[in-house]
Amino acid sequence: MSNTDAPLVGDSFKLGYRFQNFWDVPMATAFFFGELGGGTFLISMYFDFIAGMVIGLISTGVGKPFFHLTHMGVPAKSWRAVLRPDRSWISRGLISIMVFVPFGMLVVLDQAFGWSGGGFLGKLVMLVTVAAALVVMTYQGFAMSHSSSISLWNTGLMPVSSMAYALLSGTAVTLLLASVLGGLGETDLVMLQKLFLGLLVVTLAILLSLLHAAYHGTRGGQQSVTLLIKENFSMPFHGLVFGAGIVLPLIALWFGGTAPIAVFVAAIGVLIGFFSYRVLVFKAGVYEPQISFAARLGLR
Amino acid sequence: MARMGMVFDLKRCIGCNACVIGCKQENSLPDGVFFTKTLSEDYGVYPSVKRVYIPTLCNHCEDAPCEKVCPSGATYTRDDGIVMVDGEKCIGCGSCAVACPYDQRSQVSKDMLDRGLFGEGQLTDFEKQGYDRFTPGTVIKCDFCSNRVDAGLDPACVVTCPTNARIFGDFDDPDSKPNRVMRERGGGQAPLAEKNTKPKVYYIS
Repeated sequence: MSNTDAPLVGDSFKLGYRFQNFWDVPMATAFFFGELGGGTFLISMYFDFIAGMVIGLISTGVGKPFFHLTHMGVPAKSWRAVLRPDRSWISRGLISIMVFVPFGMLVVLDQAFGWSGGGFLGKLVMLVTVAAALVVMTYQGFAMSHSSSISLWNTGLMPVSSMAYALLSGTAVTLLLASVLGGLGETDLVMLQKLFLGLLVVTLAILLSLLHAAYHGTRGGQQSVTLLIKENFSMPFHGLVFGAGIVLPLIALWFGGTAPIAVFVAAIGVLIGFFSYRVLVFKAGVYEPQISFAARLGLR
Repeated sequence: MARMGMVFDLKRCIGCNACVIGCKQENSLPDGVFFTKTLSEDYGVYPSVKRVYIPTLCNHCEDAPCEKVCPSGATYTRDDGIVMVDGEKCIGCGSCAVACPYDQRSQVSKDMLDRGLFGEGQLTDFEKQGYDRFTPGTVIKCDFCSNRVDAGLDPACVVTCPTNARIFGDFDDPDSKPNRVMRERGGGQAPLAEKNTKPKVYYIS
Protein backbone atom coordinates (compact mmCIF):
# COMPACT_ATOMS: atom_id res chain seq x y z
CA MET A 1 0.00 0.00 0.00
CA SER A 2 1.26 3.42 -0.88
CA ASN A 3 1.42 6.52 1.22
CA THR A 4 -1.86 7.74 -0.27
CA ASP A 5 -5.24 6.94 1.21
CA ALA A 6 -6.43 3.74 -0.49
CA PRO A 7 -4.88 0.58 -1.90
CA LEU A 8 -4.23 -0.40 -5.50
CA VAL A 9 -6.80 -3.13 -6.01
CA GLY A 10 -6.27 -4.45 -9.53
CA ASP A 11 -9.36 -6.19 -10.86
CA SER A 12 -10.57 -7.31 -7.46
CA PHE A 13 -13.96 -6.35 -6.04
CA LYS A 14 -12.33 -4.01 -3.52
CA LEU A 15 -12.59 -0.27 -3.35
CA GLY A 16 -9.37 1.45 -4.30
CA TYR A 17 -7.22 2.76 -7.11
CA ARG A 18 -7.29 0.87 -10.39
CA PHE A 19 -4.77 1.01 -13.20
CA GLN A 20 -6.05 2.09 -16.59
CA ASN A 21 -4.99 -0.62 -19.01
CA PHE A 22 -6.81 0.42 -22.16
CA TRP A 23 -3.96 2.52 -23.52
CA ASP A 24 -0.70 0.65 -23.35
CA VAL A 25 2.57 0.19 -25.26
CA PRO A 26 1.14 0.22 -28.84
CA MET A 27 -0.72 3.48 -28.17
CA ALA A 28 2.35 4.94 -26.42
CA THR A 29 4.47 3.97 -29.43
CA ALA A 30 2.00 5.60 -31.81
CA PHE A 31 2.08 8.80 -29.73
CA PHE A 32 5.89 8.61 -29.71
CA PHE A 33 6.17 8.32 -33.48
CA GLY A 34 3.64 11.11 -34.05
CA GLU A 35 5.36 13.64 -31.83
CA LEU A 36 8.81 12.57 -32.99
CA GLY A 37 7.79 12.91 -36.64
CA GLY A 38 6.18 16.32 -36.27
CA GLY A 39 9.13 17.67 -34.32
CA THR A 40 11.76 16.24 -36.67
CA PHE A 41 9.96 17.65 -39.69
CA LEU A 42 9.64 21.15 -38.24
CA ILE A 43 13.21 21.37 -36.94
CA SER A 44 14.61 19.95 -40.20
CA MET A 45 12.45 22.29 -42.25
CA TYR A 46 13.86 25.27 -40.37
CA PHE A 47 17.37 24.15 -41.32
CA ASP A 48 16.37 23.18 -44.91
CA PHE A 49 17.47 19.63 -44.14
CA ILE A 50 15.52 17.39 -46.49
CA ALA A 51 16.63 14.02 -45.04
CA GLY A 52 15.23 15.00 -41.65
CA MET A 53 11.97 16.19 -43.17
CA VAL A 54 11.55 12.86 -44.96
CA ILE A 55 12.28 10.89 -41.78
CA GLY A 56 9.75 13.06 -39.93
CA LEU A 57 7.07 12.33 -42.51
CA ILE A 58 7.82 8.58 -42.44
CA SER A 59 7.64 8.57 -38.65
CA THR A 60 4.24 10.28 -38.61
CA GLY A 61 2.85 8.83 -41.82
CA VAL A 62 3.94 5.20 -41.39
CA GLY A 63 5.12 4.54 -37.80
CA LYS A 64 2.26 6.28 -36.05
CA PRO A 65 -0.62 4.78 -38.08
CA PHE A 66 0.93 1.31 -37.88
CA PHE A 67 0.94 1.32 -34.09
CA HIS A 68 -2.49 2.95 -33.92
CA LEU A 69 -3.87 0.14 -36.05
CA THR A 70 -2.08 -2.40 -33.85
CA HIS A 71 -3.85 -0.88 -30.85
CA MET A 72 -7.26 -0.47 -32.46
CA GLY A 73 -9.92 -3.05 -31.58
CA VAL A 74 -11.58 -2.83 -35.00
CA PRO A 75 -8.86 -1.59 -37.40
CA ALA A 76 -11.09 -1.98 -40.44
CA LYS A 77 -13.37 0.74 -39.12
CA SER A 78 -10.63 3.10 -37.99
CA TRP A 79 -11.58 5.58 -40.73
CA ARG A 80 -14.54 6.44 -38.53
CA ALA A 81 -12.15 8.21 -36.16
CA VAL A 82 -12.36 11.34 -38.34
CA LEU A 83 -16.07 11.79 -37.76
CA ARG A 84 -16.17 13.94 -34.61
CA PRO A 85 -13.62 16.76 -34.89
CA ASP A 86 -16.16 19.00 -33.14
CA ARG A 87 -15.53 17.28 -29.81
CA SER A 88 -12.79 14.62 -30.03
CA TRP A 89 -9.04 15.30 -30.04
CA ILE A 90 -8.52 11.87 -31.61
CA SER A 91 -10.55 13.03 -34.62
CA ARG A 92 -8.73 16.35 -34.79
CA GLY A 93 -5.39 14.57 -34.58
CA LEU A 94 -6.22 12.09 -37.32
CA ILE A 95 -7.37 14.88 -39.62
CA SER A 96 -4.18 16.84 -38.91
CA ILE A 97 -2.09 13.78 -39.83
CA MET A 98 -4.07 13.41 -43.07
CA VAL A 99 -3.22 17.03 -43.86
CA PHE A 100 0.35 17.00 -42.55
CA VAL A 101 1.69 14.03 -44.51
CA PRO A 102 0.65 14.99 -48.09
CA PHE A 103 1.27 18.69 -47.57
CA GLY A 104 4.62 17.86 -45.96
CA MET A 105 5.51 15.83 -49.05
CA LEU A 106 4.73 18.85 -51.19
CA VAL A 107 7.03 20.97 -49.01
CA VAL A 108 9.82 18.39 -49.40
CA LEU A 109 9.33 18.38 -53.16
CA ASP A 110 9.39 22.17 -53.15
CA GLN A 111 12.65 22.19 -51.17
CA ALA A 112 14.17 19.59 -53.50
CA PHE A 113 12.91 20.75 -56.88
CA GLY A 114 11.49 24.23 -56.25
CA TRP A 115 8.15 23.54 -57.95
CA SER A 116 6.56 26.66 -56.48
CA GLY A 117 9.37 29.00 -57.46
CA GLY A 118 9.10 30.67 -54.05
CA GLY A 119 5.57 31.83 -54.90
CA PHE A 120 2.40 32.22 -52.85
CA LEU A 121 1.24 28.63 -53.34
CA GLY A 122 4.47 27.23 -51.91
CA LYS A 123 4.22 29.51 -48.88
CA LEU A 124 0.57 28.55 -48.36
CA VAL A 125 1.43 24.84 -48.49
CA MET A 126 4.23 25.42 -45.99
CA LEU A 127 1.92 27.35 -43.66
CA VAL A 128 -0.71 24.61 -43.70
CA THR A 129 2.01 21.99 -43.10
CA VAL A 130 3.41 23.87 -40.11
CA ALA A 131 -0.07 24.30 -38.61
CA ALA A 132 -0.86 20.60 -39.11
CA ALA A 133 2.54 19.61 -37.66
CA LEU A 134 1.88 21.68 -34.54
CA VAL A 135 -1.43 19.86 -34.03
CA VAL A 136 0.25 16.48 -34.63
CA MET A 137 2.88 17.39 -32.02
CA THR A 138 0.40 18.39 -29.33
CA TYR A 139 -2.95 16.71 -29.87
CA GLN A 140 -1.96 13.58 -27.96
CA GLY A 141 -1.38 15.75 -24.92
CA PHE A 142 -4.76 17.41 -25.41
CA ALA A 143 -6.43 14.02 -25.82
CA MET A 144 -4.97 12.94 -22.49
CA SER A 145 -5.61 16.16 -20.61
CA HIS A 146 -9.13 16.62 -21.99
CA SER A 147 -10.96 14.40 -19.52
CA SER A 148 -10.74 14.33 -15.78
CA SER A 149 -10.71 10.57 -15.27
CA ILE A 150 -6.94 10.05 -14.94
CA SER A 151 -5.69 12.81 -12.67
CA LEU A 152 -2.06 12.49 -13.76
CA TRP A 153 -3.09 13.32 -17.32
CA ASN A 154 -5.70 15.95 -16.50
CA THR A 155 -3.36 18.93 -16.64
CA GLY A 156 -2.61 21.65 -19.14
CA LEU A 157 1.04 20.66 -18.87
CA MET A 158 0.34 17.44 -20.77
CA PRO A 159 0.14 19.10 -24.23
CA VAL A 160 3.06 21.33 -23.22
CA SER A 161 5.14 18.23 -22.45
CA SER A 162 4.06 16.76 -25.80
CA MET A 163 5.33 19.87 -27.58
CA ALA A 164 8.58 19.93 -25.57
CA TYR A 165 9.33 16.27 -26.24
CA ALA A 166 8.40 16.65 -29.93
CA LEU A 167 10.85 19.52 -30.36
CA LEU A 168 13.51 17.83 -28.22
CA SER A 169 13.36 14.49 -30.04
CA GLY A 170 13.06 16.30 -33.38
CA THR A 171 16.21 18.26 -32.62
CA ALA A 172 17.97 15.08 -31.52
CA VAL A 173 17.09 13.17 -34.69
CA THR A 174 17.94 16.13 -36.95
CA LEU A 175 21.33 16.59 -35.29
CA LEU A 176 22.03 12.85 -35.42
CA LEU A 177 21.11 12.61 -39.11
CA ALA A 178 23.14 15.69 -39.95
CA SER A 179 26.14 14.23 -38.10
CA VAL A 180 25.87 10.94 -39.93
CA LEU A 181 24.78 12.09 -43.40
CA GLY A 182 26.26 15.56 -43.52
CA GLY A 183 24.33 18.30 -45.28
CA LEU A 184 24.48 20.98 -42.60
CA GLY A 185 27.31 23.45 -41.99
CA GLU A 186 29.24 23.78 -38.74
CA THR A 187 27.26 26.89 -37.75
CA ASP A 188 23.98 24.99 -38.11
CA LEU A 189 25.33 22.05 -36.12
CA VAL A 190 26.41 24.31 -33.27
CA MET A 191 23.03 26.04 -33.33
CA LEU A 192 21.29 22.65 -33.20
CA GLN A 193 23.51 21.58 -30.31
CA LYS A 194 22.63 24.73 -28.35
CA LEU A 195 18.94 24.28 -29.14
CA PHE A 196 19.25 20.67 -27.99
CA LEU A 197 20.78 21.73 -24.66
CA GLY A 198 18.14 24.41 -24.15
CA LEU A 199 15.29 22.00 -24.89
CA LEU A 200 16.71 19.45 -22.45
CA VAL A 201 16.53 22.05 -19.68
CA VAL A 202 13.04 23.18 -20.72
CA THR A 203 11.78 19.58 -20.90
CA LEU A 204 13.23 18.83 -17.46
CA ALA A 205 11.47 21.89 -16.03
CA ILE A 206 8.15 20.85 -17.63
CA LEU A 207 8.49 17.27 -16.36
CA LEU A 208 9.16 18.45 -12.81
CA SER A 209 6.27 20.92 -13.00
CA LEU A 210 3.94 18.20 -14.28
CA LEU A 211 4.88 15.84 -11.45
CA HIS A 212 4.59 18.61 -8.86
CA ALA A 213 1.18 19.74 -10.12
CA ALA A 214 -0.17 16.18 -10.25
CA TYR A 215 1.15 15.30 -6.79
CA HIS A 216 -0.36 18.39 -5.18
CA GLY A 217 -3.56 18.37 -7.25
CA THR A 218 -5.69 15.34 -6.46
CA ARG A 219 -5.50 11.99 -4.67
CA GLY A 220 -5.27 10.16 -7.99
CA GLY A 221 -2.45 12.39 -9.16
CA GLN A 222 -0.61 11.81 -5.91
CA GLN A 223 -1.01 8.07 -6.32
CA SER A 224 0.33 8.17 -9.90
CA VAL A 225 3.32 10.34 -9.05
CA THR A 226 4.11 8.08 -6.10
CA LEU A 227 4.08 5.11 -8.46
CA LEU A 228 6.43 6.93 -10.82
CA ILE A 229 8.98 8.28 -8.41
CA LYS A 230 8.86 5.96 -5.39
CA GLU A 231 7.11 2.69 -6.13
CA ASN A 232 6.31 0.36 -9.05
CA PHE A 233 7.81 2.44 -11.88
CA SER A 234 10.51 4.37 -10.05
CA MET A 235 13.45 2.40 -11.50
CA PRO A 236 12.59 2.95 -15.18
CA PHE A 237 11.32 6.46 -14.53
CA HIS A 238 14.48 7.62 -12.79
CA GLY A 239 16.85 5.55 -14.91
CA LEU A 240 15.35 5.96 -18.37
CA VAL A 241 13.26 9.15 -18.36
CA PHE A 242 15.58 11.27 -16.22
CA GLY A 243 18.91 9.40 -16.46
CA ALA A 244 19.08 8.32 -20.09
CA GLY A 245 16.64 10.92 -21.40
CA ILE A 246 17.86 14.11 -19.73
CA VAL A 247 21.05 13.77 -17.67
CA LEU A 248 23.07 11.63 -20.09
CA PRO A 249 22.33 13.85 -23.14
CA LEU A 250 23.14 16.97 -21.09
CA ILE A 251 26.53 15.55 -20.10
CA ALA A 252 27.28 14.21 -23.59
CA LEU A 253 26.46 17.47 -25.36
CA TRP A 254 28.00 19.71 -22.72
CA PHE A 255 31.34 17.95 -22.82
CA GLY A 256 31.25 16.46 -26.32
CA GLY A 257 29.90 19.39 -28.30
CA THR A 258 28.97 18.33 -31.84
CA ALA A 259 31.33 15.35 -31.92
CA PRO A 260 29.49 12.46 -33.63
CA ILE A 261 29.81 10.11 -30.64
CA ALA A 262 28.44 12.75 -28.26
CA VAL A 263 25.54 13.49 -30.61
CA PHE A 264 24.84 9.77 -31.00
CA VAL A 265 24.77 9.15 -27.24
CA ALA A 266 22.64 12.24 -26.62
CA ALA A 267 20.12 11.47 -29.39
CA ILE A 268 19.70 7.81 -28.48
CA GLY A 269 19.38 8.78 -24.82
CA VAL A 270 16.63 11.28 -25.61
CA LEU A 271 14.71 8.78 -27.74
CA ILE A 272 14.90 6.16 -24.99
CA GLY A 273 13.83 8.70 -22.38
CA PHE A 274 10.96 10.02 -24.48
CA PHE A 275 9.63 6.57 -25.31
CA SER A 276 9.90 5.50 -21.66
CA TYR A 277 8.04 8.63 -20.60
CA ARG A 278 5.20 7.88 -23.00
CA VAL A 279 4.89 4.28 -21.78
CA LEU A 280 5.24 5.05 -18.07
CA VAL A 281 2.74 7.89 -18.08
CA PHE A 282 0.21 5.41 -19.46
CA LYS A 283 1.22 2.71 -17.01
CA ALA A 284 0.95 5.00 -13.99
CA GLY A 285 -2.49 6.30 -14.89
CA VAL A 286 -4.99 5.30 -12.20
CA TYR A 287 -8.72 5.68 -11.66
CA GLU A 288 -9.66 7.01 -8.27
CA PRO A 289 -11.96 5.12 -5.88
CA GLN A 290 -15.56 6.02 -6.71
CA ILE A 291 -16.72 6.76 -3.22
CA SER A 292 -15.15 6.09 0.15
CA PHE A 293 -17.09 5.86 3.36
CA ALA A 294 -13.99 5.43 5.43
CA ALA A 295 -12.74 8.75 4.05
CA ARG A 296 -16.11 10.39 4.75
CA LEU A 297 -15.99 9.16 8.31
CA GLY A 298 -12.45 10.44 8.73
CA LEU A 299 -11.04 6.96 9.15
CA ARG A 300 -8.45 7.37 6.39
CA MET B 1 -38.23 13.57 -21.62
CA ALA B 2 -37.13 11.04 -19.05
CA ARG B 3 -33.89 10.92 -17.08
CA MET B 4 -33.35 7.32 -16.07
CA GLY B 5 -31.05 6.67 -13.15
CA MET B 6 -30.45 4.55 -10.10
CA VAL B 7 -30.11 4.91 -6.36
CA PHE B 8 -28.07 2.48 -4.25
CA ASP B 9 -29.24 2.01 -0.68
CA LEU B 10 -26.03 1.05 1.08
CA LYS B 11 -27.87 0.14 4.26
CA ARG B 12 -29.63 -2.61 2.34
CA CYS B 13 -26.77 -3.95 0.23
CA ILE B 14 -25.42 -7.16 1.74
CA GLY B 15 -22.72 -7.80 -0.86
CA CYS B 16 -24.27 -11.03 -2.14
CA ASN B 17 -23.34 -10.18 -5.76
CA ALA B 18 -26.66 -11.53 -7.07
CA CYS B 19 -26.85 -8.35 -9.15
CA VAL B 20 -23.50 -9.17 -10.73
CA ILE B 21 -24.64 -12.66 -11.69
CA GLY B 22 -28.02 -11.39 -12.89
CA CYS B 23 -26.27 -8.85 -15.10
CA LYS B 24 -23.86 -11.38 -16.53
CA GLN B 25 -26.73 -13.71 -17.37
CA GLU B 26 -28.96 -11.03 -18.86
CA ASN B 27 -26.19 -9.62 -21.03
CA SER B 28 -24.30 -12.88 -21.75
CA LEU B 29 -21.09 -11.23 -20.62
CA PRO B 30 -17.86 -13.06 -21.43
CA ASP B 31 -15.28 -14.10 -18.86
CA GLY B 32 -13.72 -11.13 -17.08
CA VAL B 33 -16.32 -8.59 -18.17
CA PHE B 34 -18.64 -7.01 -15.61
CA PHE B 35 -21.17 -4.25 -16.19
CA THR B 36 -21.74 -4.00 -12.46
CA LYS B 37 -19.56 -4.81 -9.49
CA THR B 38 -20.19 -4.77 -5.78
CA LEU B 39 -17.01 -3.43 -4.27
CA SER B 40 -16.17 -3.76 -0.60
CA GLU B 41 -14.40 -1.31 1.64
CA ASP B 42 -12.98 -2.24 5.01
CA TYR B 43 -12.19 0.42 7.54
CA GLY B 44 -11.39 0.86 11.18
CA VAL B 45 -8.79 -0.81 13.38
CA TYR B 46 -9.11 -4.28 14.89
CA PRO B 47 -11.23 -5.16 16.83
CA SER B 48 -13.47 -2.34 15.64
CA VAL B 49 -13.47 -3.11 11.93
CA LYS B 50 -16.35 -2.51 9.53
CA ARG B 51 -17.07 -3.41 5.94
CA VAL B 52 -19.36 -1.55 3.59
CA TYR B 53 -20.47 -2.80 0.18
CA ILE B 54 -20.54 -0.32 -2.66
CA PRO B 55 -22.37 -1.39 -5.83
CA THR B 56 -21.07 0.24 -9.00
CA LEU B 57 -22.12 0.43 -12.63
CA CYS B 58 -22.08 2.94 -15.47
CA ASN B 59 -23.35 6.21 -14.00
CA HIS B 60 -24.98 7.30 -17.29
CA CYS B 61 -23.60 10.77 -16.73
CA GLU B 62 -25.50 13.75 -18.08
CA ASP B 63 -22.20 15.32 -19.09
CA ALA B 64 -20.68 12.02 -20.15
CA PRO B 65 -16.93 12.34 -20.80
CA CYS B 66 -16.99 9.06 -22.70
CA GLU B 67 -19.39 10.53 -25.23
CA LYS B 68 -17.38 13.73 -25.61
CA VAL B 69 -14.13 11.96 -26.50
CA CYS B 70 -15.55 9.26 -28.78
CA PRO B 71 -14.08 9.98 -32.24
CA SER B 72 -16.46 7.77 -34.18
CA GLY B 73 -19.81 8.80 -32.72
CA ALA B 74 -20.35 5.30 -31.32
CA THR B 75 -21.17 6.54 -27.82
CA TYR B 76 -24.43 8.47 -27.62
CA THR B 77 -27.14 9.35 -25.13
CA ARG B 78 -30.73 8.26 -25.72
CA ASP B 79 -33.64 10.60 -25.13
CA ASP B 80 -34.26 8.92 -21.79
CA GLY B 81 -30.68 9.66 -20.64
CA ILE B 82 -29.27 6.16 -21.04
CA VAL B 83 -25.72 6.31 -22.43
CA MET B 84 -25.24 3.70 -25.15
CA VAL B 85 -22.47 2.30 -27.34
CA ASP B 86 -23.25 1.42 -30.94
CA GLY B 87 -21.12 -1.65 -31.60
CA GLU B 88 -21.37 -1.11 -35.35
CA LYS B 89 -19.73 2.30 -35.06
CA CYS B 90 -17.17 1.59 -32.32
CA ILE B 91 -13.58 1.32 -33.56
CA GLY B 92 -12.15 0.07 -30.26
CA CYS B 93 -9.74 2.95 -29.70
CA GLY B 94 -10.40 2.92 -25.95
CA SER B 95 -10.72 6.71 -25.67
CA CYS B 96 -14.05 6.36 -23.88
CA ALA B 97 -12.59 3.84 -21.45
CA VAL B 98 -9.74 6.09 -20.36
CA ALA B 99 -12.11 9.06 -20.19
CA CYS B 100 -14.56 7.35 -17.83
CA PRO B 101 -13.57 8.29 -14.27
CA TYR B 102 -15.50 5.28 -12.97
CA ASP B 103 -13.66 2.58 -14.93
CA GLN B 104 -16.96 1.20 -16.16
CA ARG B 105 -16.06 0.15 -19.67
CA SER B 106 -14.65 -3.11 -21.00
CA GLN B 107 -13.15 -4.07 -24.31
CA VAL B 108 -14.39 -7.38 -25.65
CA SER B 109 -11.76 -9.32 -27.58
CA LYS B 110 -12.14 -12.10 -30.12
CA ASP B 111 -10.04 -14.33 -27.90
CA MET B 112 -12.40 -13.69 -25.00
CA LEU B 113 -15.40 -14.79 -27.07
CA ASP B 114 -13.61 -17.79 -28.59
CA ARG B 115 -12.35 -19.02 -25.23
CA GLY B 116 -15.77 -18.94 -23.58
CA LEU B 117 -16.65 -18.92 -19.93
CA PHE B 118 -14.99 -22.27 -19.26
CA GLY B 119 -11.79 -21.40 -21.08
CA GLU B 120 -11.85 -24.51 -23.25
CA GLY B 121 -13.01 -23.01 -26.53
CA GLN B 122 -16.25 -24.97 -26.51
CA LEU B 123 -19.13 -22.56 -26.10
CA THR B 124 -22.34 -23.53 -24.38
CA ASP B 125 -25.67 -22.94 -26.12
CA PHE B 126 -26.18 -20.01 -23.77
CA GLU B 127 -22.92 -18.43 -24.84
CA LYS B 128 -23.58 -19.09 -28.53
CA GLN B 129 -26.89 -17.22 -28.44
CA GLY B 130 -25.42 -14.39 -26.37
CA TYR B 131 -22.07 -13.65 -27.94
CA ASP B 132 -23.63 -12.73 -31.28
CA ARG B 133 -24.48 -9.33 -29.85
CA PHE B 134 -20.80 -8.42 -29.41
CA THR B 135 -18.45 -7.14 -32.08
CA PRO B 136 -14.91 -8.28 -31.20
CA GLY B 137 -12.58 -5.38 -30.44
CA THR B 138 -15.31 -2.96 -29.45
CA VAL B 139 -15.93 -1.37 -26.07
CA ILE B 140 -19.04 -2.39 -24.15
CA LYS B 141 -20.73 -1.17 -20.99
CA CYS B 142 -23.91 -1.20 -18.93
CA ASP B 143 -26.92 0.23 -20.76
CA PHE B 144 -29.34 -0.17 -17.85
CA CYS B 145 -30.64 -3.23 -19.77
CA SER B 146 -32.14 -0.83 -22.33
CA ASN B 147 -34.07 -3.64 -24.01
CA ARG B 148 -35.83 -4.36 -20.71
CA VAL B 149 -36.39 -0.65 -20.03
CA ASP B 150 -37.97 -0.30 -23.48
CA ALA B 151 -40.33 -3.11 -22.53
CA GLY B 152 -41.29 -1.33 -19.31
CA LEU B 153 -39.16 -3.55 -17.07
CA ASP B 154 -36.44 -2.74 -14.56
CA PRO B 155 -32.80 -3.66 -15.29
CA ALA B 156 -31.80 -7.24 -14.44
CA CYS B 157 -29.62 -6.20 -11.51
CA VAL B 158 -32.56 -4.37 -9.93
CA VAL B 159 -34.99 -7.28 -10.14
CA THR B 160 -32.33 -9.74 -8.96
CA CYS B 161 -31.40 -7.79 -5.84
CA PRO B 162 -32.91 -9.68 -2.89
CA THR B 163 -32.82 -6.67 -0.55
CA ASN B 164 -34.12 -3.96 -2.89
CA ALA B 165 -30.86 -2.07 -2.52
CA ARG B 166 -31.06 -0.92 -6.15
CA ILE B 167 -33.81 1.51 -6.99
CA PHE B 168 -34.30 2.39 -10.66
CA GLY B 169 -36.49 5.04 -12.23
CA ASP B 170 -36.94 8.40 -13.86
CA PHE B 171 -35.32 11.33 -12.01
CA ASP B 172 -37.51 13.73 -13.99
CA ASP B 173 -40.60 12.23 -12.42
CA PRO B 174 -41.03 13.67 -8.89
CA ASP B 175 -42.99 10.60 -7.83
CA SER B 176 -40.57 8.02 -9.17
CA LYS B 177 -39.14 5.48 -6.73
CA PRO B 178 -35.60 6.88 -6.71
CA ASN B 179 -36.84 10.44 -6.13
CA ARG B 180 -39.13 9.32 -3.30
CA VAL B 181 -36.34 7.39 -1.59
CA MET B 182 -33.90 10.28 -2.01
CA ARG B 183 -36.43 12.68 -0.45
CA GLU B 184 -37.14 10.35 2.46
CA ARG B 185 -33.46 9.76 3.15
CA GLY B 186 -32.32 13.37 2.79
CA GLY B 187 -30.57 13.18 -0.59
CA GLY B 188 -27.83 11.06 -1.99
CA GLN B 189 -24.18 11.27 -2.80
CA ALA B 190 -22.92 11.13 -6.37
CA PRO B 191 -19.69 9.22 -6.99
CA LEU B 192 -16.63 11.42 -7.65
CA ALA B 193 -18.82 14.52 -7.81
CA GLU B 194 -15.68 16.64 -8.22
CA LYS B 195 -15.26 15.25 -11.74
CA ASN B 196 -18.36 17.24 -12.80
CA THR B 197 -19.80 14.50 -14.97
CA LYS B 198 -23.29 14.78 -13.41
CA PRO B 199 -23.82 11.06 -12.72
CA LYS B 200 -27.38 9.73 -12.64
CA VAL B 201 -26.47 7.22 -9.95
CA TYR B 202 -26.61 8.16 -6.27
CA TYR B 203 -25.68 6.49 -3.00
CA ILE B 204 -27.75 6.78 0.16
CA SER B 205 -26.54 5.49 3.48
